[in-house]
Amino acid sequence: MRKSLTKMFAIAGTTALLAAGCATGTGVEVESSGVGEVPADTSATVRILMEAVPDTDIVQGLVADFNAEYPNITVEIETLAFDQMRDKLIASFQSSDPTYDLIVADNPWMDDFAPAGFLEPVDDRIANTPGFDHDDFFGPLREIADVDGVTYGVPFYNYALGYLYNEPLLAEAGLGVPTSLDELVTTSKALTMGDQTGLAMQPQRGYKIFEEWANFLFAAGGSIYNEDGSGALDSPEANAALEAYIDLYNNAAPDNSLNWAFDEAFRSVSTGASAAMVSYNWNLPALNSPDAGDLAGDFKLATMPGGKQVLGSWTWAIPSNSAEPDAAWAFVSWITSKEVDVQRVIAGGAAIRESTLQNDSVLAEGFGADYYDAIIAILSDAAPLSEGAGGEEMIQAVGTELSEAVAGTKSVEEALKAANDAINSIQG
Amino acid sequence: MRRSPAATSASLSWFQLRMLAPLIAVASVAVGLPLVYAFYLSLTDFSLTQRGAAELVGFANYGASLTNEDLWGAIGTTFTYVIIAITLETILGLLIALSLQKQEWARDLTRAMLLAPMFITPIAVGLTFRFLLNDQLGAIPFLLDSVGLNYDFLGSGKALLTLAIIDVWQWTPFMVLLLLAGLESIPKQPLEAARVDGASAFYIFRRITFPLLIPVLSVAVLLRSLDALKVFEYVYATTRGGPGTETETIQYFTYQTGIQFFRLGEASSMAFILLLIVLPIIVFLFRRLDQRASK
Amino acid sequence: MTSRPAGVVRGIFLATALVIVLFPLVWVTLASFKTPQQLNDPSLLFFLPSLDNWRFILDGGILEAAGRSAFVAGVTVGVSAIAGSAAAYVISAYKAGGTLTRFGILAAQVLPPAVLVFPFLTIAYMTRTNDSLIPLIFAHLSFVLPVVTWFLIGFFDSVPRSLEEQARVDGFSRFKAFLLVVLPQVYPGLGAAIIFGFTLSWNDMFYGLILTPTKSAILPVAIAGFNTFRGVELGSMSAAILVAVIPVVIASFFIQKRLVQGISGGAVKY
Repeated sequence: MRKSLTKMFAIAGTTALLAAGCATGTGVEVESSGVGEVPADTSATVRILMEAVPDTDIVQGLVADFNAEYPNITVEIETLAFDQMRDKLIASFQSSDPTYDLIVADNPWMDDFAPAGFLEPVDDRIANTPGFDHDDFFGPLREIADVDGVTYGVPFYNYALGYLYNEPLLAEAGLGVPTSLDELVTTSKALTMGDQTGLAMQPQRGYKIFEEWANFLFAAGGSIYNEDGSGALDSPEANAALEAYIDLYNNAAPDNSLNWAFDEAFRSVSTGASAAMVSYNWNLPALNSPDAGDLAGDFKLATMPGGKQVLGSWTWAIPSNSAEPDAAWAFVSWITSKEVDVQRVIAGGAAIRESTLQNDSVLAEGFGADYYDAIIAILSDAAPLSEGAGGEEMIQAVGTELSEAVAGTKSVEEALKAANDAINSIQG
Repeated sequence: MRRSPAATSASLSWFQLRMLAPLIAVASVAVGLPLVYAFYLSLTDFSLTQRGAAELVGFANYGASLTNEDLWGAIGTTFTYVIIAITLETILGLLIALSLQKQEWARDLTRAMLLAPMFITPIAVGLTFRFLLNDQLGAIPFLLDSVGLNYDFLGSGKALLTLAIIDVWQWTPFMVLLLLAGLESIPKQPLEAARVDGASAFYIFRRITFPLLIPVLSVAVLLRSLDALKVFEYVYATTRGGPGTETETIQYFTYQTGIQFFRLGEASSMAFILLLIVLPIIVFLFRRLDQRASK
Repeated sequence: MTSRPAGVVRGIFLATALVIVLFPLVWVTLASFKTPQQLNDPSLLFFLPSLDNWRFILDGGILEAAGRSAFVAGVTVGVSAIAGSAAAYVISAYKAGGTLTRFGILAAQVLPPAVLVFPFLTIAYMTRTNDSLIPLIFAHLSFVLPVVTWFLIGFFDSVPRSLEEQARVDGFSRFKAFLLVVLPQVYPGLGAAIIFGFTLSWNDMFYGLILTPTKSAILPVAIAGFNTFRGVELGSMSAAILVAVIPVVIASFFIQKRLVQGISGGAVKY
């Protein structure tokens, strides 16, 4: 019996090792066909993996129009929540067999995916697509899709942050929109009275807290990186920003909200329990939509105090193991083209092209000129959280230290020093 | 009908083999293959974003993991969580099972309803409690507030305990299920005899019921503990490992290292380190139990 | 003999336990009929129920997802029950397979799924089964089979050897003695093992996410999908939770009745 057991384990072991040997990596330089103009009679099925966000719904709504131009390309869109989508995406890259023909990538991943050979370079395609006008995309978004001088994608939508506030509440208290970090602190505290709090914060450890706090950092005049790419969090500005953040958490944020993320803050603001929040610019229509609640219509968007804010961006990219790269490009170039982008933004999509935000129909039929003005202002001075490989890890490490500081288990100096060390060791 | 001792022992071995065969066959594929492959990965520098085949780096990952403070922190956090949750679940489970056994009306309905929390996928349990405990939107703080109480459920120093309580809510029914089955299997005769002899309920429990329940109880504690070691969804749904690293459990940490930061080789080594800590403890404890039982 | 005060204490205790267990479930049930706005009000108990959430999840294919989950869980538990009870018996009675088998199968229980999922995925790609539910079934077997086996070892340990010996004396073969005499003694344990094994498989989200194609998503993946970027869709998620819970509660009601309650028929009287 022993013998047969040992034999079976041995067989299992050998098989597993063989499997391991065959299964890893692609190891091939990624080439692109470079085709820009895709014939209208092309026949293909394009499978896309996307995140379940409002912008994805808008894309799905436009597929019918796409098929009017490309009747033989079937577009299949799979939507998943963020973490699940990321996990599935990573899983799909592991095989050389195609699972998805077109994907969207979050900005921290670009610097990891491109060198790994997961994405197809699209410079040639862009050059060969007449009228595409790549420079029309907002600068920060284009830069995100650019890794080591090669373009690996085209912007899908931006998620730059801004200050979303309840206008009547601010007006009642006789307060204007804060334009500096100090004003943000005093305004938020002044709006904290009775059951109402001045700022619904999102200090959840990891991504959320870093995303929110970095705006404070910029408002204090600080930055995440120095010119040479090393961490800049050990600066007096960062100190001031974190002190202000903790001050606000203790005095102007809802009670017991240490683990709050977007969802709780959004509900707090839309029910009037909080006067404002720092969040993505395209959440304004969601706050003001008729079925959001009684306060719909009361909310406005402003740039972060100080004028500089955190930016995130999703990019359309063609996986190197895509089965239909040309058809995928047909869809991407169509949906990001000037004409279609106008439709997209009118429907509520987040901006990617400068020309769209100056387009007459958008200003007339969309969500109001001042909303688009605010977005132009926001996108003109916005920076992502991470640059370079190891983005996710760096964000999580900094987010952990910030959380310790707010929870009071580390001093501000200790936390910032540890965060800075993390940036340097992970991305240095 | 009597066979020779040799033939009996040969046919006994053959019998054992046949009975074990299905288990071995399935386990080789379902447990053996992935285990060996994961072990292989732990010996490489495999990253989910690398090109080409992974290189063998021997035990470098193990060295890195063993000296990783965050890993030990996660192990400590998880062990604390498991001890709190399992202790509460065992005590409560036993009390409820004993009560259910004596219950006379609506037995089946009560038993079925009490099991309900087990059948909700843990991520949904986590998300439900995240909102139930929310200070502004949740029913529980609302009720507490009406009697003037305020408690920071997911705040510093309290989050881990709250997560353990969520675990207790979801999994005490499992203990109840198992202990009830164990209680129902206990032969009635010795219990009746003792009762007739005038023994008190407590005496009966301590001297007869509990010792007979030990095999089942130890399996229940073992299985539940192993399951609790893997806690992930509650953390993911509520605190993401925070505040700071207070609720960063092993599974959450290896998930981040292996899948979010792409370092799967290193994450595999962490998993095997955990295995090397836990498995000997289990073997030791169960050997002790076997020795006591055979006395 | 149950005394009155003890009975009352017991009753209060059970009632309290029921309230604690059911409170979140009642909340979930109410939430499934609320509109997004109503969900933000914790004190809202009486309101006009809305069926929007239910319609939404049914249109979204929740029943199909539940069906797939049931299939995977059913196969997993079925295989585990058969392989597990046979193995548990000889491990308990004869220490068959030694320490390696008994504790080795627990290895997959200890290892975090995050680490095992990519090996499973690779094997799935290599065997070209990645578009089916087969890799998922094997992944589930990795943690259900050991659990069921261990359950049953514990229960078999409580069965006196005299039972089996008596059956052999009466002329039963070893296998028949196992099947007709010893196994019925552990029916309560088998019932509990089936319920628990089914639950573990029914609840798994992680393997289900990575190892199955999105179009054949299983139930927990569908439920987790309600945790969207625009916030948790509490109403729909609550409805989906009820779809997950109610059938299994009903099923376990019947399993309890049949298996867990007492031993009847087929077994040798002790």
